[in-house]
Amino acid sequence: MSAAILELAVDKFLFRFPPGLFYSEAGIWVRFEGLRARIGLSDFTQQRNGDVAFAEPKEEGTAVRLGDEVAVVETIKVNLSIPSPVDGKVVEVNGDLLAAPELVNQDPYGKGWLAVLEIEDDEAARGALKTAADYLALAKAQAEAEVRR
Amino acid sequence: MPNLPRKKVGLISCSGEELPEGTVTRRAVRKVLETLRPDDTVTLCLPLFLAGGEGERAFARYYPTISVDGCDKRCAALATEKYSSKPLASIVVTEIAKESGYGAIGTARRLDESGLRLADAVADKIAEETDRLLKRKPKDTTRRAGREGS
Amino acid sequence: MSGTRPKIPVVPCSGIGKSLGAAAREAAYVLVEDLRPDKTRIVALSLLVLGDEEARREVAGGEAVAIDGCKLECAAKGLACSGAAKVHKIAVFDVVRRHRGLKPEGVCDLNEDGLRLARATADEAAKIVDEVDAEGGHA
Repeated sequence: MSAAILELAVDKFLFRFPPGLFYSEAGIWVRFEGLRARIGLSDFTQQRNGDVAFAEPKEEGTAVRLGDEVAVVETIKVNLSIPSPVDGKVVEVNGDLLAAPELVNQDPYGKGWLAVLEIEDDEAARGALKTAADYLALAKAQAEAEVRR
Repeated sequence: MPNLPRKKVGLISCSGEELPEGTVTRRAVRKVLETLRPDDTVTLCLPLFLAGGEGERAFARYYPTISVDGCDKRCAALATEKYSSKPLASIVVTEIAKESGYGAIGTARRLDESGLRLADAVADKIAEETDRLLKRKPKDTTRRAGREGS
Repeated sequence: MSGTRPKIPVVPCSGIGKSLGAAAREAAYVLVEDLRPDKTRIVALSLLVLGDEEARREVAGGEAVAIDGCKLECAAKGLACSGAAKVHKIAVFDVVRRHRGLKPEGVCDLNEDGLRLARATADEAAKIVDEVDAEGGHA
């Protein structure tokens, strides 16, 4: 990723959005690796929801449609049902999260990935997602609305 | 530079586990954040500040801060100045307690009624300073008979 | 014999932004006031980091216990830079994972789950204190 990471500062919080990724409205990032999609929680999503205590993706072999639950993430504050950002089949889950769920908070775009899904059509999948700039705009609106609440 | 939809004041309180006045600072700051001035303030976490928290330090560099300390060791004020910039207002609970004639206020773990009242008084002081820093008219919480104008 | 030994310093993070910080603070009080009052004392993290001489003397060269709320480990980091020979770390966050389903809330006034977590954290910290005490590892 050579392009500069997009950043959004709201109050004392700084949110990062790598430009090489795609993002769902629910705040799940996607890195396309050929016909595979690696997914995780965006920096905005993980900061909003607090320290992750348990991160449990669906097991390998599970087929999901766009919007189906692909993982459950339990934080100190809330239990999150994570909607899949793509149609696909889970082919790999991040085993490191069993012992170190805090990786989702500490390195959301790197070591904190949740799962890898095999997909059939990466162009169609991209079409249903937002670019970093578009997702940043959405996150900004959501963050400012929360701050004003 | 942090981007704020509206200007806010950062409140940084000491952690003060050893003194009841330290507990007063926490209670007062949370009251201002949650009730008295929720749209005008953010809290900066002192332990995170000391440990290098970039968000906390960046905020304190660019926006006004109020330090709220339990005693005259003034850890919050010193840390803010050392790692970012000098707070624009510094409140010390032992000074307020002395001026207002508070005696015993409970323990660091549990404030008594007097300690809770002191926390309210400190919270009011913080709110007053917040208004001053944001150049806002003080929010009128008392009825003032015969008042003219705005 | 243990009555003449200096007390083991306990340093909570007391983070004000999250209930985990509040639980760490409460856990320190439970440990120092209820469970091991003869063996432990609280030392304020900010005094240590800012170089207060009295605070630094408390930890210099000996073993200490850091009670953190989350994995940012502010108390453990602060203690490590303050002259302690060995820092025993415990985080409320890890205790949460051993007591699944508890959702701590509140900063000034912890809810029931928060108080339970604080107590569970203090219980685990007390075992650490007993081990340190048995080995005679404090300053």
